[in-house]
Amino acid sequence: MGAGKTTAIRAISDVAPIVTDVANHDASVAKARTTVGLDYGMLALDNGDRIRLFGTPGQARFDFLWQILAREALGLVILTDNSRPDPLADLAMFLDGFAASLDTLPCVIGVGRLDSHAHPTLDDYADLLEARGMVLPILAVDVRQRADVVLLIDTLLGQIESGLERN
Amino acid sequence: MTILDNLPAGLREAAEQAARACVGDVAGVNAVVIASVDGFDVASSLRVQQDAARIAAMASSISAISGVVSLEAGLGNFRSVTIATDDGFAVVHAAPRADVELVIIVIASGNAILAQVMHRVAAMARALAAH
Repeated sequence: MGAGKTTAIRAISDVAPIVTDVANHDASVAKARTTVGLDYGMLALDNGDRIRLFGTPGQARFDFLWQILAREALGLVILTDNSRPDPLADLAMFLDGFAASLDTLPCVIGVGRLDSHAHPTLDDYADLLEARGMVLPILAVDVRQRADVVLLIDTLLGQIESGLERN
Repeated sequence: MTILDNLPAGLREAAEQAARACVGDVAGVNAVVIASVDGFDVASSLRVQQDAARIAAMASSISAISGVVSLEAGLGNFRSVTIATDDGFAVVHAAPRADVELVIIVIASGNAILAQVMHRVAAMARALAAH
């Protein structure tokens, strides 16, 4: 929660994003509003293909939506906020929540606010993944910057294309 | 901690009483959960073994997505949505307040009468909004 999923979609969507944010009553997170349904945006690629972007609520109580949105997904982008109390635990929660999907879907991890909160480092994230037998791209991002978010998508598309070539 | 720990005096008790009364009074109603708009359960009454916290989160999502549909369609603010199923139905109803927006979800079996449940949940929403 608070990693910037809605902001990331807003940064790159070619259409006005659809958002389902409401007043946040969780005092442990300093934000006025939070997504409780889904966010939606669309990004047109240079080749004319269009990618639909769906953002999920980050809180575990909404994990039923994670499964629904991952069902027909091409890939996953997991955003973490390095200013949170335990970002590695946040990532572990998402890896557990999307475990079934991660068996088949490509995934990239974006770490936000790394410039102001240097720990955990990207190596720490990689170590967590390695301990789980996973190797995934991990990028430092500022989700307000379109170029950063596009880089996440490009990285994901690269994985999808390499997977298609292998098959 | 959530601000729901500091709800207006008597609101949680009123919500709990309303939920209990609905389950007790309306035939076929199996569960009533009253949640904050961001998915925290404020009060609940469950006739069957279900997770009120999970139902509250689902009600919040359904309400938010329905609200977007209402607005995109130019139909104004969301009030309620009914989910009809093989074995019953669920009604999700907004109960907006100035201090904390609430959502009510009623889950009923096929023995319940939809109009009766909708009338009751609308009355509950009005009462909680005015409390």
